[in-house]
Amino acid sequence: MALLLVALALSDGRPVGADEHLLANLDDLADLSLEQLAEIEVMSVSRRLEPLSEAAASIYVITPEDIRRSGAVTLPDALRLAPNLQVARADASRWAISARGYNSIIANNMLVLIDGRTVYSPLFSGVFWEAQDLPLEDIERIEVISGPGGTLWGTNAVNGVINILTRTAGDTQGALIAAGMGSDTKVLQARFGDALGSKVSWRFHGRFVELAETENAAGAGSNDLAQRWQGGFRADQGDSVSGVTLIGGAYRTEITQLPSDRIVENKHLLVAWSRRLGVGRKLRLQAYYDRNDREQPGSIRDALDTYDIEFQHPLAVQGRHRLLWGAGFRRYVDRLENLGPGFAFVPADRTLDYLHAFAEDDIRLGDDADLVLGLKLERNDYTHWEALPTVRLAYRPGTARLVWAAFSRAVRAPSRIDRELFTPAAGPPFTLAGGPDFRSEVAHAAELGYRAQPTPFLSWSLTGFVHSSDRLRSFEPSPDGPVFGNGLEGTTTGLEAWSKWRLLPWWRVDLGYVEQRRTVRRDPDSGDFTDGSQLGNDPHRWASLHSAVELFGGHEFDVWVRHVAALPRPAVPAYVAFDARLGLRLPHGLELSVTGRNLFDDRHPEWGVAPLRPEFERGILAQLRWRFWRT
Amino acid sequence: MPRLRSSSRPLVSLGVLFVMLAHASAWAAPDTQTVLERRVKAAFLYKFAGYVDWPAPAFRGPGDPLVIGVIGDDALADELERLVQGRRSAGRLVQVRRIENTGEPGDVHLLFLGRSHAQRAGEAVQAIRQRPVLLVSESPGALQQGSMINFVIGEGRVRFEVDLDATKRNGLGLSSRLLTVARTVTAKGS
Repeated sequence: MALLLVALALSDGRPVGADEHLLANLDDLADLSLEQLAEIEVMSVSRRLEPLSEAAASIYVITPEDIRRSGAVTLPDALRLAPNLQVARADASRWAISARGYNSIIANNMLVLIDGRTVYSPLFSGVFWEAQDLPLEDIERIEVISGPGGTLWGTNAVNGVINILTRTAGDTQGALIAAGMGSDTKVLQARFGDALGSKVSWRFHGRFVELAETENAAGAGSNDLAQRWQGGFRADQGDSVSGVTLIGGAYRTEITQLPSDRIVENKHLLVAWSRRLGVGRKLRLQAYYDRNDREQPGSIRDALDTYDIEFQHPLAVQGRHRLLWGAGFRRYVDRLENLGPGFAFVPADRTLDYLHAFAEDDIRLGDDADLVLGLKLERNDYTHWEALPTVRLAYRPGTARLVWAAFSRAVRAPSRIDRELFTPAAGPPFTLAGGPDFRSEVAHAAELGYRAQPTPFLSWSLTGFVHSSDRLRSFEPSPDGPVFGNGLEGTTTGLEAWSKWRLLPWWRVDLGYVEQRRTVRRDPDSGDFTDGSQLGNDPHRWASLHSAVELFGGHEFDVWVRHVAALPRPAVPAYVAFDARLGLRLPHGLELSVTGRNLFDDRHPEWGVAPLRPEFERGILAQLRWRFWRT
Repeated sequence: MPRLRSSSRPLVSLGVLFVMLAHASAWAAPDTQTVLERRVKAAFLYKFAGYVDWPAPAFRGPGDPLVIGVIGDDALADELERLVQGRRSAGRLVQVRRIENTGEPGDVHLLFLGRSHAQRAGEAVQAIRQRPVLLVSESPGALQQGSMINFVIGEGRVRFEVDLDATKRNGLGLSSRLLTVARTVTAKGS
């Protein structure tokens, strides 16, 4: 209500927009010269919403503008902006992030990539969010696809794909210095980009982030302070159709814990090459090396080398068919040391090879409908061959409407934790004796979606889904002790909806809403004695609202409200969080912002078991950005 | 301020209502912005013809009208029809034709591919191969699909980018006057 009053108050004396220009008489326009036509302001700058996506999938794109306007400092903060993602903060640096259910800190059903480099760990098929970081100012877009990713992605993309893409070096020229200081965060970063002649552009950056220790309900410290140093570079030659890109980076994360700090270090180098083959077709080849070292005192010391190479090749259009195929190979060399008595990986060292090949046929059915048939074949060292077929149908009944349907079979192949984990280390006897017969988890997903953009200022999207999951991880009795088996099955149904609406040239409101029901059952011949809660902890619904207001002088005011319903096991109460950010554009390339988080709440937990779980308090963060030497 | 209750039903209902109202009201209100943009694009289309060096086979005789085909945008075709009433282009009458099948545009001189049919660009390019037809589009990346002139909205204005290689492939020449107004001009070797 208050917002509405503010809106009305600001509506008088506003600078006159294009609406007020004479809706030019048609005859007048035809008499103008080319130059004059090119000068007519048809709309104010950057008012237009992104054009409707053509994808037959539930895809939400997080824009760099929204990331900036949220005051986000870390990647998980930015991921909260996707309405189709469940994001729960577990402590200072750990997060549970997933789509379509089965969320946990070790959520293993999402494929996450940064510029084409996969960042999930083969130890457990999940992402260590405490370690992933990059300057958010460098992000071009984050594509969040909920549901099986389809042929272009692969195993592990059962529930969705998070595809993080950074800006080309050509888009980040000049210097940028940013600093942030707040009640629970400190950040300092610098970036510099330049060009070599007209063909090559590059940039370097360095970054430091500190996330303060969190407190539990009683006010006691959780001993989870995290510090991260990160640096990297990117060089691009050519353009997005024909060219070469080189991306490299390194980071070190130190997280306080008992008995001593947890340390994660990473170095990576990626090269991508694309070349135009013909009209609207480009060949793409990519290779990368990633080295990850994890020191978890009392648990494991792990050194993981990843070698990956893959390509995509679109064939020439044959009548109604547009074919795309590709293949790739990845090798993980994992050298692990078991340090603690609690658990052990047996064998400690392991080399895992993955091979994949896919083909996709995009068939034009009529002038307004497309059918995509895709198949991906993957080979892994545990279960050998897996097939992931998908059928997608897209129908465009009008200029700005899309109806789509998809049927997919998705697979989560075993990871090391499914097959090779023994607890305790010194057994027998074991409380968990690995999973020698653990097979891939399988999901069959049916999705139906509708997307519309009735005006350039209003777009909305609705997706209904049913996932039928089988062979989910269960504990099965065996002569050696309990082992991991595939005795659970589940059904997840739900609805995802979001909208973006620019009500006024200076006021945009985005809404997001997900309703979801997940049930897990035991197979008749399974001896599982748990209730399946180890598979994940999911709320029935979550919703969000974002109001973006442009003030006089180009300043920004944003309000973010989110609601997450209660989590069942372990129980976490429902909460509503209210954040607000004021951003001021100052002269000489300076931008100052103040973000308040959890403004109407003393504290609330999002994850974990009471009473030790952290509770997140009201907090404030001030950030300063300075751009200069823009070439 | 009292802590907000965990009951989400009012919030949920409000959200759903909001979206429904938004959709409903959007249909009701006249959309002045797109109308102006559409009219500017229609005016551009009409004017482009005058800046093209049409090769001899393009017209059978001096009495032949200039035909502009429009795919996938009836509203723009309407505007164009109104605009060309009583006007000529280089002395020729101007006709507007609505094209149903992208693969068969028929005898046109200009072909406009509306945004809703952007993914059919490849077909349109195929259909006009080796014919003196100027292909105009309005979707990002259309030039890479083979389009010749592509409308882009830049700084709130209707601008356009030109691919000279594509025009040359179809035997068309473009006046340098047009090229100076273009936002970008692409030609191999640059």
